[in-house]
Amino acid sequence: MLSYAVQRFLQAIVAIFGVLTIVFVVMHLSGDPTLLLVPQDASAEMIAELRRQLGFDRPISVQYLDYLAGLFRLDFGLSVVQRVPALDIVLSRLPYTIQLAAGALLIAVGVGIPAGIVMATRRGTAVERLLTAIVVTGQSVPTFLSGILLIFVFGVTLRWLPTSGSGEWSAMIMPSIALGALSMSTFARMTRISIVDELSKDYVRAGRARGLSLAQVVARHVLRNASIPVITIAALEIGNLLAGAVIVETVFAWPGIGQLAIQSIQSRDFLVVQVIVLLISFVYVMTSVLADFVYVLVDPRIRLAR
Amino acid sequence: MKRGLASAAVAVMALIATGALAQTKETLTIDLPGEAATLDPHLQWNTESYTIYRNIFDNLLTRNAAGEIVPQIATKWAYDNDTTLTFTIRDDVTFQDGTKLTAEDVAFSVNRIIDPALKSPQLSQFDQIQSAEVVDPVTVRLKTKSAYPALLAQLVKLSIVPKAYVEKVGDAEFNLKPVGSGPYKLVEWKKGVETDLAAYDAYWRGKPPFPRVVFRAVPDVSTRIADLQTGKADLAREVPPDQAFSLKDGADTQLLSAPTERVGYLYLNAQAGPTKDVRVRQAIAYAIDRQGLVDALLEGYGKPVNIVGAEPIFGYTAEVEGYAYDPDKAIELIKQAGAEGATVEFLTSPSYSRALVEAIQQMLNEVGLNVEIASSDQATFLKRRQGEAANAGGMALGLWSCACQDADGIIFPLFRSGGIWAKYENTNYNALVDEARTILDGDKRLGLYKQAYEILREDVPGIGLYQVYALYGASKKLQWQPTANEAMFVMDMSWQP
Repeated sequence: MLSYAVQRFLQAIVAIFGVLTIVFVVMHLSGDPTLLLVPQDASAEMIAELRRQLGFDRPISVQYLDYLAGLFRLDFGLSVVQRVPALDIVLSRLPYTIQLAAGALLIAVGVGIPAGIVMATRRGTAVERLLTAIVVTGQSVPTFLSGILLIFVFGVTLRWLPTSGSGEWSAMIMPSIALGALSMSTFARMTRISIVDELSKDYVRAGRARGLSLAQVVARHVLRNASIPVITIAALEIGNLLAGAVIVETVFAWPGIGQLAIQSIQSRDFLVVQVIVLLISFVYVMTSVLADFVYVLVDPRIRLAR
Repeated sequence: MKRGLASAAVAVMALIATGALAQTKETLTIDLPGEAATLDPHLQWNTESYTIYRNIFDNLLTRNAAGEIVPQIATKWAYDNDTTLTFTIRDDVTFQDGTKLTAEDVAFSVNRIIDPALKSPQLSQFDQIQSAEVVDPVTVRLKTKSAYPALLAQLVKLSIVPKAYVEKVGDAEFNLKPVGSGPYKLVEWKKGVETDLAAYDAYWRGKPPFPRVVFRAVPDVSTRIADLQTGKADLAREVPPDQAFSLKDGADTQLLSAPTERVGYLYLNAQAGPTKDVRVRQAIAYAIDRQGLVDALLEGYGKPVNIVGAEPIFGYTAEVEGYAYDPDKAIELIKQAGAEGATVEFLTSPSYSRALVEAIQQMLNEVGLNVEIASSDQATFLKRRQGEAANAGGMALGLWSCACQDADGIIFPLFRSGGIWAKYENTNYNALVDEARTILDGDKRLGLYKQAYEILREDVPGIGLYQVYALYGASKKLQWQPTANEAMFVMDMSWQP
């Protein structure tokens, strides 16, 4: 178990390192922020001078090694736009994204899993068809569109909820729904598939033969077995929620790291982008490692199989 | 008894009504497309930062509604000689920490922004200044490297910072907790969320109109419009013309607009590709229906221009004729140049209206060119546009303002060869704009710019399309006349309940 954990941990570090390197190279190859920082009537000399002062005139390999050396000292560098430590900027925005991701996950799990159970156990009924329609809609409507529709209906027309911002709790409802909708569909589908899969197994038939109702079999046995793939999805969805927050946060003016990522990419604020990438890839990798361990807890047979 | 009750009720209602009338609006909420990058006015020149810090700091000079340069912290100024300018400053100004603003602060502010160690991105706007020195507590002397007629226009953008405070807390801390002498002081800068300002009641020009002002960062334009419609915001910047109608006809909203010094123009590469031929460039100028673009795509919020420059700038001339819309002439010129079907790359980025780019593409395809749109992000766009002529595309849109209201800030950087934007070279033109930026005589400068614009008309390295109108969505109760320089100075606003 321990060697497995160490192995997974090392793999995780390599993965994060790889992502970081790719983003560093791509961002640097596509231009530096100097042109976006200076007024448009700046002279070529002035631009060259600022580029030199900011260190963007050095070869990309030198900049990269410099950056890595900084990382080992836990120095994530200064934002060239705001002139404050990049880490501070990201950390100040992180709680907003966590809050939003939690709200979205709550909606995704709270609606998606029960919907999936109903869809699996009521196959062929009108209820299933209705839920399938909702799930497909949730999956196919782009987030920016559902966001704007929500704002128009519940903000502007009905005036029930604030149209943007982060000051009051009610401001969280619409962005959570918009962000949660995609994951909700994923949870519903995965739950349905894995329950249907379990329902065809012998132990279910045996249970039914012993006189248990379908609901009893599902509640006592099927859910536990069907939960394993759903847990994997849950883990991956946390990463997806962070990535999906990019659009939702922009539409709802929600001040999380998603909106920050967009701004920082637009302004070529490299070091801020790097911290965000580091953070999101860390969450992705760690949640998938965590999911593996949760499997073992849920179903100890997996451990024996290794 | 009934009558008594009724009159009492009337009296109470009257009291409530008067109370309501006497009440001022507590907080003015302004939606901006983004947040301030920095609040140190010497570090950043992005629009969001400027919009906010303009209310925290005073400038040495400013512009009035008519666009004239008028006193702010300086009360008067005079040239001692071509390179020395002496300013007298106000004696009754205090910073928001209570200290008095003196000539020391003014000189410090100038010397700070021109110090390369600060790495100010605005240095290019002030690098003609050699030094600033204190003569006495109300007198400052500025020396420039050579005679520099645009100096006053540039100084309009110079914010005065408190020397003692900046030296005490350092640059990093000053950026986070700025102190100025303007009408509003910083209460809290919630990164990414909002910037809260409170009225500085000891402001030298009198009490500011709103006790609090909140600038929110709302990137999506649909959300900014929804905020205005629901009263969550009172004023919003950057409302595109095609979405403005919903505010114009709203029950509680209005649309405010102002012609600006900003000019929408088309850059043409005079050094590479099919546009290297002057006949092709002239053909493009004839092929564009400016009035059509303004009417159809800008909903009338813009005005066709005859040159690359608009009326609010010094150096503007109505005497240089613009190109009339004449597609037949364009077809003829393209034939003469043998450029029928030639491919012209149209560089663009999301900063420019896609509809406008496509409309121009359509107009040019109709006269026989094959215009291909090459869209990229802004940094990549700038890299190509500012790089070598061979890689700079055939054409691109530009929305240019130097915020200095002077032709020197427009046609010098755009078309003077050797600059990053020019893909054009004409020694006569270079000589004219060079001379115009080193003499102080206004009439003589106007004459030089007129000649320069005549050369640009013949050579067509760029085509002036339209004067940009700034558009703001606002609550119907907000009273404010936006200005040509696109500043949002809350001191000039008021509320009509």
